[in-house]
Amino acid sequence: MISDRIKSNLSREFRESLLAKVGLVLLVAILIMGLFAPVLATHNPHTTGYFDDDGNAYPPMGVSYDSHQWVDGERVTYTAEPSADHYLGTNNIGQDVFSRLLFGARTSLMVGVFGTGLAVLIGVPFGLVSGYYGGRVDDAMMRVADIMLAFPSLVLALALIGVMGSLTIPIPDPFVFAGVADGMPASTPLPGTVTLVVGLVTWVWFARVARGEAMSIRNEEYVKAARSLGANDREILLKHVLPNSLTPVIVLATIQVAAIILLESSLSYLGFSGTTLSWGYEIQQGQDYLRTAWWVSTVPGIGIVLSVISINLLGDWLRDSLDPNIEGEGGGAG
Amino acid sequence: MSAETPPTSQPLVSVDGLEKYFWENDSVLDRLFGDEPVAVRAVDGLTFDIHEGETLGLVGESGCGKSTAGETLLRLQEPTDGRVEFDGDNVYDLEGSDLTEFRRDAQVVFQDPFSSLDPRMTIGDIVQQPLDIHDVGPTDERRQRVRDLFERVGLSVDQLDRYPHEFSGGQRQRIGIARALALEPEFLVLDEPTSALDVSVQAQVLNLLADLQDEFDLTYLLISHNLSVIRHICDRVAVMYLGEIVEIGPVEDIFEAPKHPYTEALLASVPRASTDERERDRQTLAGDVPSPRNPPSGCRFRTRCPMVIPPDDLEIDQEDYRAIMNLRERIERRDISLETVGGDEEFEFTDGSIPPADVDAFVDALRERVLDRELPARHAELVDGALAELASTDWDAAGTQLREVYASVCERDRPDLGEDGHPVACHLYADNECETLENVR
Ligand code: SF4
Repeated sequence: MISDRIKSNLSREFRESLLAKVGLVLLVAILIMGLFAPVLATHNPHTTGYFDDDGNAYPPMGVSYDSHQWVDGERVTYTAEPSADHYLGTNNIGQDVFSRLLFGARTSLMVGVFGTGLAVLIGVPFGLVSGYYGGRVDDAMMRVADIMLAFPSLVLALALIGVMGSLTIPIPDPFVFAGVADGMPASTPLPGTVTLVVGLVTWVWFARVARGEAMSIRNEEYVKAARSLGANDREILLKHVLPNSLTPVIVLATIQVAAIILLESSLSYLGFSGTTLSWGYEIQQGQDYLRTAWWVSTVPGIGIVLSVISINLLGDWLRDSLDPNIEGEGGGAG
Repeated sequence: MSAETPPTSQPLVSVDGLEKYFWENDSVLDRLFGDEPVAVRAVDGLTFDIHEGETLGLVGESGCGKSTAGETLLRLQEPTDGRVEFDGDNVYDLEGSDLTEFRRDAQVVFQDPFSSLDPRMTIGDIVQQPLDIHDVGPTDERRQRVRDLFERVGLSVDQLDRYPHEFSGGQRQRIGIARALALEPEFLVLDEPTSALDVSVQAQVLNLLADLQDEFDLTYLLISHNLSVIRHICDRVAVMYLGEIVEIGPVEDIFEAPKHPYTEALLASVPRASTDERERDRQTLAGDVPSPRNPPSGCRFRTRCPMVIPPDDLEIDQEDYRAIMNLRERIERRDISLETVGGDEEFEFTDGSIPPADVDAFVDALRERVLDRELPARHAELVDGALAELASTDWDAAGTQLREVYASVCERDRPDLGEDGHPVACHLYADNECETLENVR
């Protein structure tokens, strides 16, 4: 289904675009972090109490900070030095920030991918049917979509979580089972409600894109040809409309993964994700200590920013390579 | 191709009063605001037969509704009214297995070989698709059939796994033809099958179609704006103008002895080497094609017809009459900008009128603008009288004055397409004037 022309476009755009390369490198790094978190992590992300002898959290490598304590009515200044054991230091309850960064990537990626998948599964069929049939069917279906769009997605998400409660699904960790990651958590919690909710608040975008595609594809002569051959609506939708509308859906999906990672971070920052292994939750935890232990919030913050940027860069690359104009130029398909 | 005249047996396809309107301003919002839906009369009452084994040509300018007619006839669009009988059954009543059978027996080849093939399917899958849809035989039999079809239309079977964009227009059209033939149909609608192709390739594709017709006993409806294509391949020709058939007859009669003024005008413009459709039309036929939203009353060609019939009691040169009718058209459409009459020394309109003293000068300037010929004194006077009404922007009065004198039978009565061997819808050929339809619109 991916023609040679598209492949050559992809590689040409990639060669010409520095940003695409940066995006790919970053994303691959983040994917590795998330996938192999139990192997790469230095500590169990839940273990608390990694403090130095004076009871201070460790700073990241190469950083030290002064902390003041009152001992017997006297103000004593301690200098906390980093520990080679904790690359990115520890947080306010003494958990290893580096390990938590890795596991946080897992959560973000899982919610991003599953949430987008759910949105695609709901939105694309909805949009294709609406655009293909048009008329009254389309009017009714698009009013539903407009109503969804009228709510800010965060508000809608909070309302849905309020109704459903926050549920997490423990996903067993293959590395721990295989015995290559001793001491790591035996399962990773997937924030089920959050995944469901982000899917439910973003499917409309897919519906709109798919509808627009279906509306133009249904007037293509190859659809008329299929109809004159006796193909029914279902066959036409599956064989012609769906495959030909996938390009913009794929581009939108990449961008939506990034948007959903942000949304998940917001939700877990607000305490709704149901798991503590999440970048948003980490930021919230660290924000009281920003003046001294700034890294507790900053590290996951950088994680969010880099993953969102890298995914968007790749989305731009895909969009530029799959752009229908370029495609038409190549094949003369206008 | 077959030179003999069509047999008198029962026709394979029989079209009766076929109408297809599209509706504008028909959404919920429009109805809320009280906008009346407007009918675009793309196809407005077609009646003709296609006999087994013949090729009927449907010719007309772009936008005359011929492609819509072809699609509606195949039930790719639902008709507004009328019926189409295929092998004796009304196509629009077919359901279930009868409809499936019709879909096998009647196929279409489209104009644009680029958009008529799904860019994401290999050409082998494209040609096999009809066999898959109708579950014809086991898989390897289907494959073999696809190979046979490829060979028959002159394509190499090595290319089965390629995608459409790798082929030239002519090759793609052959793929489209192979697909249309896959189910061994009886009847093919060829919708401008060659007009997107290079002239050199056109002849090859037409010859292929002719060979296939002989070999498989096919019946064709060939839709085209290109008269040389029509002449090359058709047995009979129907000429369409603004959604109606104006003349229909054997190909020799149409080309050697055309009756309808529109057909004559079309033929006068036949390009020896065909050029662009629209460009050519503009060269020979004066005036724009009127909108099918609001087609002219009576004969639809009357706004451009050089032979438009003057009232019996009027003595007037045909060209003068045409010029006056054109002027009437513009006045009735209010299609003259009065404010700019007179060039630099414009006339001042206060409350929609100019000072009485200026009226004569205004009429002179206006006549200069809208008429390009000298009229005989009697008609010049009448026209000046009407133009003077425009000095007080009274369009209705100007229109009425001209209509009272110049109204033609062509705008009152809709000419009927007769029944004989070479029917033509024009008052010049009406044997019996009282039989013409009273126009009710
Ligand atoms: S009916 Fe009148 S206007 Fe129409 S084609 Fe004949 S002469 Fe011309």
